[in-house]
Amino acid sequence: MRFFWVIALVLLTPQVFAEVSVSATVDQARVSFGESISLTISINGTQSGGQPAIPKIEGLNFAGPAVNTSVSIVNGAMSQSVSLVYQVTPTRTGEFMIPALDVNVAGKIFKTNPIRLTVDKPGAQTDMSQSLFAKVRLNSQQVYLGQTAPLDVIVFARANLPVRGLSSFNSEAEGLGYKYSGNVKQGTQSINGEAFNVYVVEGAISPTRAGELKFGPCVLKVQLATQVRNRSIFDEMMGRIEVREVPVTLDVVPIEVLPLPAEGRPADFAGAVGEWSLSVDAKPVEVAVGDPITVTVRIAGNGNIDTVPAIQLKGLENFKTYDPTSKTTKNELGTTGERVFQQVLVAKDTKATQLPDVRLSYFDPVAKTYKTTGQAPIELKIKPGGQAAVLTGSERVRPAEKLGQDIVYLKGDRGPVASVPPPIWPWNVVPVLALAGAIAWKRRQERLTGDVAYARRSRAARNARQILAGATTPEQVQRVLQEYLGDRLNLPAAGMTASVVEEHRLPGKVREIFEVCDAARFAGARADVNGLKQQLEQVIDELEK
Amino acid sequence: MNWKSKPVGCAIAHRILCGWARLVRNSAPYLIAAMAVADDFKAANALFDAGKFAEAVAAYEKIEPKTAHVFFNLGNAHYRAGQVGRAVLNYERARLIAPGDPDILANLKFAEEKLGVAEVNVSPKLVVRFFRSLAGARTTAQWTRYEIIGVWATMLLIAAAVWRPRWRSGLVILAVMAGIGLVTATAMVIYRNAARPVAVVVVPKVEARFAPLADATVHFQLGEGTKVAIREDRGQWVFVERADEQQGWVRAEELERVAKP
Repeated sequence: MRFFWVIALVLLTPQVFAEVSVSATVDQARVSFGESISLTISINGTQSGGQPAIPKIEGLNFAGPAVNTSVSIVNGAMSQSVSLVYQVTPTRTGEFMIPALDVNVAGKIFKTNPIRLTVDKPGAQTDMSQSLFAKVRLNSQQVYLGQTAPLDVIVFARANLPVRGLSSFNSEAEGLGYKYSGNVKQGTQSINGEAFNVYVVEGAISPTRAGELKFGPCVLKVQLATQVRNRSIFDEMMGRIEVREVPVTLDVVPIEVLPLPAEGRPADFAGAVGEWSLSVDAKPVEVAVGDPITVTVRIAGNGNIDTVPAIQLKGLENFKTYDPTSKTTKNELGTTGERVFQQVLVAKDTKATQLPDVRLSYFDPVAKTYKTTGQAPIELKIKPGGQAAVLTGSERVRPAEKLGQDIVYLKGDRGPVASVPPPIWPWNVVPVLALAGAIAWKRRQERLTGDVAYARRSRAARNARQILAGATTPEQVQRVLQEYLGDRLNLPAAGMTASVVEEHRLPGKVREIFEVCDAARFAGARADVNGLKQQLEQVIDELEK
Repeated sequence: MNWKSKPVGCAIAHRILCGWARLVRNSAPYLIAAMAVADDFKAANALFDAGKFAEAVAAYEKIEPKTAHVFFNLGNAHYRAGQVGRAVLNYERARLIAPGDPDILANLKFAEEKLGVAEVNVSPKLVVRFFRSLAGARTTAQWTRYEIIGVWATMLLIAAAVWRPRWRSGLVILAVMAGIGLVTATAMVIYRNAARPVAVVVVPKVEARFAPLADATVHFQLGEGTKVAIREDRGQWVFVERADEQQGWVRAEELERVAKP
């Protein structure tokens, strides 16, 4: 029962609290006369929206709607929507306006956005730049030296354009340290009620000098699919397409790179730019004199991690120190990162009561000011050093020994030559054929054992020929014929007479052999035994074909 | 031995002796050639030990056929001569012949780390990394043998399952396991045969451009020792792909193929 209520709550909660939104889009806002347009009214957050009343617009015919509903659950959150798709067919050329439509959702009226349509004469050239263009997305055109700022190049393609992808991207960004991701993200966006496919080349700039710099011009090559026409019958059958590349240019975007301000700069500022957080950890904090303490300083945040300097712990007079190590990780574009410093300290005596505070001064380009982050000193409990003497070898601190590294020395013998792969096809075909043959043979053996008719028919000719070779009288020849026919037809051999010829549609020679043999046996007529044997051989050959 | 009383034994002994004599006579040129090559190899090692690394490189280059150890020592000679990119190239060639040799792997890693290309030469995608390391763990000949063993084992187990119905369930499980091994080995053979040729950058710095033109925009840079897959060869220019799938055109003379064409 409790399970039922949980399920009901999960299913009903989104419906009660889901936010309903209504929008209208067309797949293309400019078409040639004779083409149709799809008008889609999307109602998000519910599946119970009513159909809007479509006003009569002179020059436009509306058909539909086709209703599509969808429900999806992502990470436990349910979303649902309903789409009403109308087919809009112009009956004349000109400019049209589909006004805002009223959509009734659970008694509440939602209005769609009005949409402007243009219907050109057939064959009129359409402006490609209206269908395929690119823009730069940059948070601010002012960036600071050392800052890493996201800079995305977005390609907009009208929804009806058969875009296959971006083939190349050529940009000029001298001094900006521009990097971009090879993975192009895709999505859709509505511009003035018209649906566009969006391709985002995510990137980032990290200027290396101050001044008025320029991003661009850029040229992106967009692959458009076009149907192959009148090439061959195979092309038409297969519906083959060819891909052509259309260049999309992007104008120059001026970017002002500002030097880091001098005022307010902390004395210990060492060039870190970004939004950073710092944490310090020491393990263990209760040790004996001579025991190692590992101090970990972790700096993470948004910005160019390479600008963060190495952290130097100060005030360590009471500690023996070892060289720190650092590990840096960052995302592909270098917009976020983390740097972890680790240093091993060994307390010389019990005077070492705390680790010094750690601070990092950095410039925050968003707040446009210098900031300092840090962590208060960490208290330590150092026991007297007598214990170090009783520690086992594995626990005793030994200064890190620096081992030399080099390549492995020469090989003294020539070693084996490269082996040649064995011929793969014969080695593969043989076992497959052998298995197939063995299984076929086994099946035959099983059939011979279990199927008497098959077994008799299979052996009929061989047995008959063996016995026939030793036959010397017409009677023996007739007996062979009876045995052969009995085996072949799975009938008693004694019942095989001349009458079976018509009954089983046997060759006429069978009747002749029976008649000659009967005449020899019962009437004493002379018979050529060898001739009978030859005739019977012919009969067997004919029947076994 | 009484020869007259043992005519059959004598004939057999005579044939064996004649066979040995023929074998020694026919093998002699090859044995002499092998000994000469072994002498060349030792002479090249002696040049290396004398610190004459350039001469050692030339001596190793002359040895034919080249074994994994010849490529390994050639890589060492290049390394000592300061040509670390060429050292990486020859360690890679050695690894093609003997992929499991720990000395080759150690020197290759050491040389790549010295050039700072160890991370660049590894794909950032875990699946690709796993597949390449699996395919590279054995030579094509070894994977081919595994594939053949897999076919035979699968067929024999199927046959046994057909002929021994009492053991069928166990035999079918074994046959499925052998089949999985067969499919894996087949995939590795296909991958190794279909893989694009690999080359190594042998000059200090290479600029990969958007087009095969000297004045085309530079896309990215390749350091010495970087491994690239050759996607297209146009003579003076080749279209290459780095492990992180960045692609660009570079001059052909700035690279050298791992497997000689």
